[in-house]
Amino acid sequence: MASSQSVKRVVKEVKPILSLDREEARQRVLNLYKAWHRQLSYIVKQYDIPKNQEQCRQKLREQFTKYDEIKDIRLIDMLVIKGQMELKEVVNMWKQKGHIMTYFKDTVEPKPQDFLSKFLSGKD
Amino acid sequence: MASFLLRTRTLSKSPLCIKWCSPSISTTAVRNTEPQIKNDIALLNPEEIEHKKKLQNYITVEGTTDISPITGIPEDYIKERRVRIYEPPKNCMQSGTNNIGNWEMEFDTKERWENPLMGWCSTGDPLSNMKVQFSSKEEAVEYCEKNGWQYFIQESKLDKKFKPKSYGVNFSWNKRTSFN
Repeated sequence: MASSQSVKRVVKEVKPILSLDREEARQRVLNLYKAWHRQLSYIVKQYDIPKNQEQCRQKLREQFTKYDEIKDIRLIDMLVIKGQMELKEVVNMWKQKGHIMTYFKDTVEPKPQDFLSKFLSGKD
Repeated sequence: MASFLLRTRTLSKSPLCIKWCSPSISTTAVRNTEPQIKNDIALLNPEEIEHKKKLQNYITVEGTTDISPITGIPEDYIKERRVRIYEPPKNCMQSGTNNIGNWEMEFDTKERWENPLMGWCSTGDPLSNMKVQFSSKEEAVEYCEKNGWQYFIQESKLDKKFKPKSYGVNFSWNKRTSFN
């Protein structure tokens, strides 16, 4: 029933978004990371979040390393663009305290993992 | 014929027109020859211009692309849900087979409940009624792989062979169908 999720090695010719090669894409990612890193102290101060700078730094690193397996240059570019947009939202105070705190997911309840807790929660 | 007549008419009128038209014609001609300078290009470095030109060309990307990080679909939906790829069957109430033969994908069912107000069926799942049609199985598989969804293919089980029947077979001399 379950089919094998085929893994193909294919080389495609595609249109670039921002970067032409991996090195350039990497440089863009590093620039974005640095920009976020510089902003962290202001974020902690301006948004008045119950986190210190070190925790924010860890979260920032986590958000970036989440995507470290992505190889496609276009995807990296797109993520950089999205990250840039979010940084702008943060800097211009278009986001609010709650939006910053959603990165930490403090209030998200962990989903039931084993059979019994799934059964008791009444969801599949 | 009409165009020819028109042309002759304009030609005959042209000596009169020239005086009127000539200044305007000349200015347009000059305007067309002027090189158009775009500000954004004029302000760039040579390397940046080179880069911009290269962006018009193609780059090579290895492997399949999984666009799930940039689609904005929540992670839970990508990790937990499974897609069924299947061939929708013929409507059993009708004998026509016009709108079948394509492949569809749909997501697994999530919880549904009876709405306490009206007794209607409710669900909190935005993908519950999403059906996407494809012309072939491979296209559906490719789409699912691109979006990072788990999938399984449900082949239709009916493989009834077409048996041609004719009245003449009853009287054939070399088959065991003749009855006389």
